[in-house]
Amino acid sequence: MKRKIFSAIIIGAVFASCQKERLDPIPQTQLSDAVAFSTPERAAQQVNGIYSALKQGNFYAGRFQVYMDVRGEEFINFTNNGVTAFLTWNFTQTPTTNEVQNLWAAAYQTINRCNVVIEGIAAATLADNLKKQYTAEAKVVRAISYWSLMQMYARPFTEASGPASPGVPLRLTAITSSGNNNIVRSTVGDVYTQILKDLNEAEVDLPLNYATADLNTTRAHRNTAVSLKTRVLLSMGRYADVITEGNKMVPAAAPFQAATGVANRLNPSIATTFTTYNTTESILSMPYTNLDLPGTQNSLNSYYNPGPNGNGDFVLNTTGNGIVANTNWTATDARRAFNIASGGQTYLRKWPKNAGTDPDWIPVIRYAEVLLNVAEAEARQGTGLNARALALLNAVRQRSDAATTLAPADKDALIAAILLERRIELLGEGLRTADVTRTGANFAAKGSVGAYGPSSNLYIWPISNAEILTNKEMVQNPGY
Amino acid sequence: MRKLVLMVLGLLFFAGQLLAQTRQVSGRVLDESGKPVPNASVTVKGTNQGTTSNADGYFTLSVPANAKLIVTAIGLTAQEISVGNNTEVNLTLKAEDKAMQEVVVVGYGTARKKDLVGNVASVKGSVIKDLPVQSFDQALSGRATGVSVTMPNGVLNNPPVIRVRGVNSISLSSFPLVVVDGVPTYSGNVGGTASNNPLGNINPNDIESVEILKDAAAAAIYGSRASAGVLLITTKRGKQGRARVNYDGWVGWTKAFNLIDVLNAEQYTTIKNEGLTNLGTPPVPAPGTPARGFFTQTDANGQLIDTRWYDYIYRSGMQQNHSVNVSGASDKTSYFFSAGFTDQEGMLRGNDFRRVTARMTVDHKVNNWLQLGGTMNYTNSTNAAPNTGSLPGQAFGIAGLGRLPIILAPNVAPRNADGSYNINTAANTIGQGNNRTALSFYNPVYLLENNRFTSENDQITGNVFAQLNFTKWLNFRTIYGIDNLNVQNKEFRAALHGDGVQFGGAAQNTQQTFRRWNWQNLLTFDKQFGEHNVNVLVGNEQQYTNQQGWGADRRGQTDIFYDEFQGGFASIVPAGNFFGENYLVSFLGRLNYNYGGKYYLSLNARRDGYSAFAPENKYGNFYGGSVGWVLTNEKFFQDLNTDNWLNNFRLRASWGLVGNNQGINDYAFYSFFNSGLYGTQPNLFFSQAGNRNLRWETSTKTDIGFDASFFKSRVNVEFSYYKNDIDNLILNDPQSPSAGIPGNAILTNIGRMVNTGFELAINTTPIRTQNFVWNSNFNITTLRNEVKSLAQGNADIFVQTSGLEQPSIIRVGESIGSFYAVRTNGVNPATGQRIFTYRDGREIQYNHAATQRWTFLDGTAAPRGADQANDGVIIGPALPRYTGGWDNTFRFKGFDLNILFFFSGGNYVYNGTKAGLRDQRNWNNMTEVMTRWQKTGDVTNIPRVVFGDNISNGSGIVISENVEKGDFIKARNIALGYTMPKSVTDRLGINSIRFYGGMQNAFTITKYTGFDPETSTNGNANGSPSVDRNSVPQARTIVAGVNIGF
Repeated sequence: MKRKIFSAIIIGAVFASCQKERLDPIPQTQLSDAVAFSTPERAAQQVNGIYSALKQGNFYAGRFQVYMDVRGEEFINFTNNGVTAFLTWNFTQTPTTNEVQNLWAAAYQTINRCNVVIEGIAAATLADNLKKQYTAEAKVVRAISYWSLMQMYARPFTEASGPASPGVPLRLTAITSSGNNNIVRSTVGDVYTQILKDLNEAEVDLPLNYATADLNTTRAHRNTAVSLKTRVLLSMGRYADVITEGNKMVPAAAPFQAATGVANRLNPSIATTFTTYNTTESILSMPYTNLDLPGTQNSLNSYYNPGPNGNGDFVLNTTGNGIVANTNWTATDARRAFNIASGGQTYLRKWPKNAGTDPDWIPVIRYAEVLLNVAEAEARQGTGLNARALALLNAVRQRSDAATTLAPADKDALIAAILLERRIELLGEGLRTADVTRTGANFAAKGSVGAYGPSSNLYIWPISNAEILTNKEMVQNPGY
Repeated sequence: MRKLVLMVLGLLFFAGQLLAQTRQVSGRVLDESGKPVPNASVTVKGTNQGTTSNADGYFTLSVPANAKLIVTAIGLTAQEISVGNNTEVNLTLKAEDKAMQEVVVVGYGTARKKDLVGNVASVKGSVIKDLPVQSFDQALSGRATGVSVTMPNGVLNNPPVIRVRGVNSISLSSFPLVVVDGVPTYSGNVGGTASNNPLGNINPNDIESVEILKDAAAAAIYGSRASAGVLLITTKRGKQGRARVNYDGWVGWTKAFNLIDVLNAEQYTTIKNEGLTNLGTPPVPAPGTPARGFFTQTDANGQLIDTRWYDYIYRSGMQQNHSVNVSGASDKTSYFFSAGFTDQEGMLRGNDFRRVTARMTVDHKVNNWLQLGGTMNYTNSTNAAPNTGSLPGQAFGIAGLGRLPIILAPNVAPRNADGSYNINTAANTIGQGNNRTALSFYNPVYLLENNRFTSENDQITGNVFAQLNFTKWLNFRTIYGIDNLNVQNKEFRAALHGDGVQFGGAAQNTQQTFRRWNWQNLLTFDKQFGEHNVNVLVGNEQQYTNQQGWGADRRGQTDIFYDEFQGGFASIVPAGNFFGENYLVSFLGRLNYNYGGKYYLSLNARRDGYSAFAPENKYGNFYGGSVGWVLTNEKFFQDLNTDNWLNNFRLRASWGLVGNNQGINDYAFYSFFNSGLYGTQPNLFFSQAGNRNLRWETSTKTDIGFDASFFKSRVNVEFSYYKNDIDNLILNDPQSPSAGIPGNAILTNIGRMVNTGFELAINTTPIRTQNFVWNSNFNITTLRNEVKSLAQGNADIFVQTSGLEQPSIIRVGESIGSFYAVRTNGVNPATGQRIFTYRDGREIQYNHAATQRWTFLDGTAAPRGADQANDGVIIGPALPRYTGGWDNTFRFKGFDLNILFFFSGGNYVYNGTKAGLRDQRNWNNMTEVMTRWQKTGDVTNIPRVVFGDNISNGSGIVISENVEKGDFIKARNIALGYTMPKSVTDRLGINSIRFYGGMQNAFTITKYTGFDPETSTNGNANGSPSVDRNSVPQARTIVAGVNIGF
């Protein structure tokens, strides 16, 4: 009997010795790469995933725009916090500075997500028109990402030696495994060529519009590609082409409203643009909800608002050459309503809410910028005072300051007025560095920080040290 | 009764008559010092005749002719002696060689220490039970060779950094596997802002012993989990005899020590205003431009406001600990019950640890072939802590309490005259008082009084076993264990000030559950064939773990009254979600053989399958072997008659291959996509680039050594050379960021690392008299860690501290995590500027006040600034090259004094905290800054202060100025006890009573200028050891306690 018990137990133990199915668990909260594009719904979600990369904390949630703006003269750093762009403001960035490494990584994460989706969609079973549309959307996001990288890490295209100088690596295929580290920097010219190629191809395949106003603001449509082209071409100094593209969205005379696709136009009141996020002025914005937050210390709200709704890392520079102190920006201008004094400082409150509970949407491109892009391109044509340019400039100015009609004396004064208007209209929206570098201007002195001109190596950022370490073909920018 | 006695006497008499040749023998039993041994058992070999010696050691016994006597006594070595024709037999019993008789717990069984060839360190529960710690692992520091235990800082229940013979992985865990009564348990930190080491759920008082398996021979039986060593915890069980009741209790007081002096209010304003002047923006400028200066202020009573922020953050914490157990055993059944309670306040305000434990263990022999038993433990523990800023990842948090008291301006007060908090709401900083430049940090008093962070555990562990004894030499044992850990992390951040402002006040609750079962089936064969002793083990083990977490963050308090999750909040966001499961199946075997106690051979093998690897790479085979040779048991050696000075000498060697999967993601090989939201729309995105080729990390361990006992075991020496050659390292292979791989890394088997070193333990009893005994145990372990190869053609890996700073580098040819900094060369006496050195050796200096900030020493412009990428060089190793302990126990009559020193050195520590303490933003500074450069010719280490300068001090660039030698020796524990004499305890009706007082972390001897060279801001991270960045110091604890036995 005893023997039987013993045998039974041992045989039982041996049979129970391995549970095969437990050795192959299937993840319950992620989709494996084998099925990630297997249904139309998944393909659609993949496209949303691309935009999510663009709007991540280290990119268009706010950090990118902050870096672009605080290098300029409009803001004074208040918190001295190395985590929130102090080094960028202070021009003490190095290859290991967090903003330098993190922006680089975020932009390329976005680019690779575009590439993964472009290839995933190509192989998926999906209606042809959707395939084309989704691919076009990915190309728009890829173009924005490359344009953003070029503003910080490469010399401006508009310099004499600009197009031939080192740009950034062009990654155009999906990377999902190791062994892809080494890649050379393409030239600035090649990168801009690729950006335009993406936008041109996207324009053809993008829908004219979407079913809802929300989608028209948060997904790329045909006018999105066109508007971005005016920005990119302006960065390249190709003014005639800016006009050609701009004409697709901007009529020759007022009222200025896009004739095809989404009827993009200025809101009657600029305040509306920042309270109602899905108006047609907002060509592309990044949506946030209380379930889809920009993250701590990432949002424009956090950088520019005083407490309790922000950290107040940067206050407006109310002295010297800061735009707030400029008397050409009249006291009655509606846009001054965004400048709120508090505790002895003046804060920019375009995005006034608490981003931890009630985040604002963040604009990527607005119709006002398109108008100013076309205005500047027109103004630089010929030798005289360009009438259309002046009309567009005043359209932007008088929306917020009806009492003022700008009347510059000559071509140069007109260009200067347009550049000034950009500082007023687009304050805090992440274009200052682009406007400084494409025009070859100096980063003006502010607070305790001196001026840095095109001859300074600090004029552009260094390449991320993480890239230098892993990419054997990478070459650092001079001076770093 | 009387009848019975008479009958027995009669029988004895009868027997005496029958064996006519018996005769009387008398004798005396003495010990080595010549003292009589009472109660020694004297028996005639082969019979049950016997007697015991009297108080003076004398005995009388009748024996047959040619009898042999066996004499035994507690604590002494048994001796056999032939009576021959003698009528008087005097003998001297030698002290028992305790070390050699000890039973040591090994993987899946036990072994006598003398039969053990593998390298196992053993620490008795008795030496750790009375220490003021939260988890037993904290108490292992300095106790055993090859086991380095350092405390990261003085935060309660912060997991210690444990390294068994060096760092044994780069991207996986180097923390040893912890096995409690045969079942592996959880380690690490399962808390959030409040640290929570689940090993703190074990009542140290329940521990019988801790064994640390170090080499392959000992550890390979744990196969895939053995790379970083194994800690075997054996809990107490009932012992033969009447029921015993023990009470152990202590009270303690704890305080931070070695705090660094910072500037007072007047010094602060002096330095900051001087900095502004030097910058060219004077504190009191020309009319019309904004003032920037720093000015003192007085309170309502006209007193200067001079805040010592330490006083608001640190305290003298009160601690108490109580433990009661009842145990006993009959022939058939043994039992152990215990209950424990501890309530410990930390040195930081708001840092509290409470634990309640209950344990039951029963073993029962049903009959001669069946044994059953089991143990069950329940623990509830709560860790409460403020944001200490001292846990991994927290170093640069602006709410961290390690940092706030040292950088907050001393010329502002925590509260306004009306008692309200001194807060600048617009800037969400402390109110700036009379300062004209804003301050940048939170008011810690508000944080301490309003924010709350807790981590609570409910853990149930238990196991049952059945053992079938087929024959005396063959048994089958099955053991089934569970380990269920529920963790509830709660956080509340208030809305008015601090990091809760961004969420309008937020309450977060997350729940984590870890459920594990482990089932082992073991067949053991154990038989002696003449001089051949054979022990064979074959078995199977399976372990399944399911881990899930969920929770939410409620944000936007609708009323400041609500501070619980269930209160009124405007929005809710998911938080703390995770899901995973893993399964390990193993087949194992071991052969132990020895011939006559002279030649030892052990072989073991294990095949492990683990769920996280791709189907084609699931299994790994691991094996080890060892040999031993006891020379002193050889005839030729015994002929040398070395007994007087060398009584035991054994050579041993082992080699084996073990694996590592500890800390690997449950789904490591998969490539997959995650879900989230784009605004209101669902999304899907590439989130993990997997690697199907991922396989086991392997470690080849070699160990050669000897054990020797000298002078009749008064001096015992253990010496080992070890080498851990870790190959196929699973590395987070860095991908160039431009590739855009999620996380910029893919887990890959690339890389090799080798740890080599020596271990030496000397256990001695320098003095042993009747009234005075001195035991002195010294141990030292050396470590040479060298990274041999890495991914991407051996590309360097820079390891971040809290995402902001990279003082540590992993580079081939260097010790892992060596410090990598820009060299500095003091302060130029001519200019007062810090001198930096380009990698090529040229020296430049930094002037924050100039437009051309970087110049050569001759004043000409430098082409670029110094930075870590271009100018960083290896400064030195961060891992200690040697660690050890020196444990002394003195006993005099009823008194016992124990002093344990812990020492470590040969390495550098990155004193990042010092960078902060010298930062010339609005931060407060250490008093050393008063010696700053002021005029040409000043020779000092503090540069001319320039407001806003964060380069010269090392905040912006990691500089060698802040990399310091880390050698130290620390009096880890001093305890003085007194055991009441038996005459007193008898009168009290108790068995024993001992009172003691002690001090943990009594003092440290070091040249390190930070709080404490024993530090780890990055916790157990492999690649960034010995970093000191804004962490709180260590605590010093004084205890008074009592042990009572009934």
